[in-house]
Amino acid sequence: MSSVAIARSRSLDESSLGKVFIAPSVLTMALVALFPVLYAMVLSVFSYDGLRREGFAGLVNYAEALSSGEFWRPVNATLVFTAASVTLEFLIGLGFALIMARAFAGRGLTRAVILVPWVIPTVVSAQMWGLMFQVTPGFINHYAWFVPQDFNWLGTPGWAMVAIIIADVWKTAPFVALLLLAGLQTIGQDVYESARIDGASAWQRFTQITLPLLKPAILVALLFRSVDSLRVYDLPKVMTGGAFGTETLSMLVQRFVADTPDPGMGATLSILTFIAVLGIGMIFVSLLGRDLAGGGEGR
Amino acid sequence: MAVARDRHGAAGRCRRARRWGGVALLAIIWCWCLLPFAWLIDVSLKTGNNALSSPLLTQGPFGLDNYASVFGQGFGYNLRNSMIVASVTTILCISIGSLAAYALARLRLRRKALILAGVLAVSLYPPVALVPPLYELWRSLGLLNTYAGLYIPYTAFTLPLVIFILTTFFASIPSEMEDAARVDGATPFQTFARVILPLSAPGVFAAAILVFVHAWNEFLLASTFAPRSLAVQTVPVAISVFTGSVPFQHPIGAITAACVIVTVPMILLVLLFQRRIVAGLTAGGVKG
Amino acid sequence: MTKWIALVTALVLVAASCVGAREPGESGGLVWAIGAVDARPGGSASDTVAMWNQLHPNGPNVRIEALPESADDARQQMVLELNARSSEFDILTLDVIWTGEFAENGWLVDLEDIRPAIEAVSLPGPLQSATWGGTLWAAPHTSDASLLYYRTDLVDQPPRTWNELMEVGLRVGKERGIAPFVAQGAQYEGMVVNYLEYLWGAGGDLFSEDGTEVRFQREPALKAITFMRAALQNGFYAPGFNTMKEEDSRNAFQSGNAVFMRNWPYAYHLMSGQDPRNPSKVAGKFGIAPLPTFEGEGTISGTGGQNLAVSRFSGNVEAAKEFVRFASATPEVQRKLGQRSLAPTMASVYGDLAGDPVMALLGQVLPHARPRPSTPDWSAISEVIQREIFPAYNGQREPEQAVEAIRAFLQSTLDEG
Repeated sequence: MSSVAIARSRSLDESSLGKVFIAPSVLTMALVALFPVLYAMVLSVFSYDGLRREGFAGLVNYAEALSSGEFWRPVNATLVFTAASVTLEFLIGLGFALIMARAFAGRGLTRAVILVPWVIPTVVSAQMWGLMFQVTPGFINHYAWFVPQDFNWLGTPGWAMVAIIIADVWKTAPFVALLLLAGLQTIGQDVYESARIDGASAWQRFTQITLPLLKPAILVALLFRSVDSLRVYDLPKVMTGGAFGTETLSMLVQRFVADTPDPGMGATLSILTFIAVLGIGMIFVSLLGRDLAGGGEGR
Repeated sequence: MAVARDRHGAAGRCRRARRWGGVALLAIIWCWCLLPFAWLIDVSLKTGNNALSSPLLTQGPFGLDNYASVFGQGFGYNLRNSMIVASVTTILCISIGSLAAYALARLRLRRKALILAGVLAVSLYPPVALVPPLYELWRSLGLLNTYAGLYIPYTAFTLPLVIFILTTFFASIPSEMEDAARVDGATPFQTFARVILPLSAPGVFAAAILVFVHAWNEFLLASTFAPRSLAVQTVPVAISVFTGSVPFQHPIGAITAACVIVTVPMILLVLLFQRRIVAGLTAGGVKG
Repeated sequence: MTKWIALVTALVLVAASCVGAREPGESGGLVWAIGAVDARPGGSASDTVAMWNQLHPNGPNVRIEALPESADDARQQMVLELNARSSEFDILTLDVIWTGEFAENGWLVDLEDIRPAIEAVSLPGPLQSATWGGTLWAAPHTSDASLLYYRTDLVDQPPRTWNELMEVGLRVGKERGIAPFVAQGAQYEGMVVNYLEYLWGAGGDLFSEDGTEVRFQREPALKAITFMRAALQNGFYAPGFNTMKEEDSRNAFQSGNAVFMRNWPYAYHLMSGQDPRNPSKVAGKFGIAPLPTFEGEGTISGTGGQNLAVSRFSGNVEAAKEFVRFASATPEVQRKLGQRSLAPTMASVYGDLAGDPVMALLGQVLPHARPRPSTPDWSAISEVIQREIFPAYNGQREPEQAVEAIRAFLQSTLDEG
């Protein structure tokens, strides 16, 4: 057969093979994740009185939510939280990753130590930080000598959000570190060697070799941390209950889904949250797609 | 470079300063990561109900009461359940996810961006809103209080992360290796299993750890689908059911004790696998 | 290597698929869903169950199904089951504020046929919390009423009015360098009860007795908020007051850092220092008294506690009703609860418990204690009160606006019907 024909038949095999490889993933995810979205889309167009369906309401729920300050305040709080904590997690996680990749005495233990915050169950971590920041008995206030003993972290507007961000960054910086560490492994040592021979400084090697080659891993880390932060629930719920401007979108959703149930509004808020998170996620995906698409086609 | 260093004094002084700087940095990192964990251990060892009545970590009395009470509540079963669910989730995620990632990274597939977007979209729904619809669905499928009722959704919701990590990882592997394998007559699947996977060990291990820990610590779905039956109840749910000795009393002692019990094996696991995560691309001689 | 992985995978998958269907409930048995502490083996619920099972050797036996510690989580689990019309639970343990909601959603069987038996023995406050729309939907099981804790080494007799309390507290607190007062000021349900106690103490209320009219007047409502604002600003409220819940205030008082505390009776025995493993800095140095009011006459505490109800989807409604009546109207059962420091709802039992200082005081306080309204809209009303009163007393909302917003919302719940 001519080489063109071989190439064509091989590419056909690849395409259907690709579908076969992808199929199990798609099926599993569709089965579980698609249903709640469809469920919520249906519910959101009805109006409810408590748990009783009153009637078809079209987009009334959406209009009500979008025009209410009660919706935009949690949106604001969530955005502030996400921006601050993802930035900090990235910077600290990058530092951790660079350290974890190096060889030095005690590196195995250090790598394990860095991952300790990540393995602590979230249910415990939220309570732990809440109790440490509490004025009574005031663990953090006592041991952080520069903070006055009766500093009311969780009861002061502004500082409540800071406390929550600290707790979140502590817990999830290792996640970012792990992702970036895996990414660092794909950069061969010889690239650095030739750069060093050419006289590049450590900083130049970092900014012109490491960072660009790490870009896909960075984007994945930022993507997943962002979409998770946008949906944070446990931490603010346990630490402040949403007081002083720390109520997040997911807390608002939970209010209408479970606390004071209104299935129509709860579904509406879920869909709105979903759309918002999807939008931000897509920005990252498009940035990432350019990097990934190059791998398959350009050969 | 060497010339520049000498100009500022003995090269030894510079090196010593850097070493002390490194030690100081390590100390800061260790403190940052471990001090809260030290708090956990400290509170778990305080007996009675005044664990929180003093800001001092050294305030006694101390004892192992909390640990005794944790195991007295059937915690061993919860550890087993979490182990099984997390392990199955990890195995499923890695096997299914790596196939999908390979397809996305290497094989010709139309509309990759769309697929990537769809994969991501799956995991974006606010978790608290998943509970009512999935509970209904699980009820009718008879999946409540079963292991499958847990590892199926866990797999579904963690697959996006795995796929994204592994796709970027696979995409960064130079194609010479696969071309060599293809010239030798290997099918794409063989190429995948024998060439790509071993080369991506660091990425695969990192993803595996992330999935395992994530499944282990998941609370919301576990408390909805397997809330009470000791046959399936996982560790985070068990912790949330701990009680004090009287109403209103917060069982912080039992909670922290359970947390320590659970964290120690996880840290050992990480210690065991941490070298795998940093194994470089030395296997198989990629370069040269 | 691959073979090892395959083997391990296979083993794990097999193990996983082995665990499956729930065990079917014992035929004819009853399931009692109860949360938190009481459900533990050796907890108060097991006393009651033991007594019942002894009296009914031929069944139906009662089995305890333990719900989570947090009231919200327990409620959510019950709601999930009831929404799905499951017959998993026969007897439900409801927090006093859930009666209206559960009844309105059609999840309960009314207890009208055992109403006379219940009414004859129960205290008025708890009984009111179990009634909605004129019907008895649950049987009072345990109650709770808040008390004033005070340091006996610093204060002889606690004052009878809030303003005096503030004055004494500030003076003594300044002398000793400790906080005058701790209570529950975080943004949650507990704060609402605190506020209601001020409101009632000022002569105000939310609704009329029958729940058909709004009685939320400007004057007492403002009086209460003004007091709270002043208390926060002049240091009467301890630092961190606006993040405190029950345990936080107990911890502060127990470590000797407060002169007065408003809390539930549970704290008494925890702070008494009787158990050598639980040393308490205030052991032997504190006492309990009824809460003050603004006028100085009488006392009004908010009530808590739990009621027992029968699920509409139960497979054995008659037996369940019988158990519910048993748990709430049998002297032996209620006395046992009292001995475990859970306030009984059966008035007559208090005489037997007079030896216990907490029970003795509760016996005096409970007849005057008031429940929160048992309307199904309570969780929504509570939300609104939290979101208005919390910023108001923290100086971030004008009290007038807060009061008006609450009044408007209360009215809207009545208008919707």
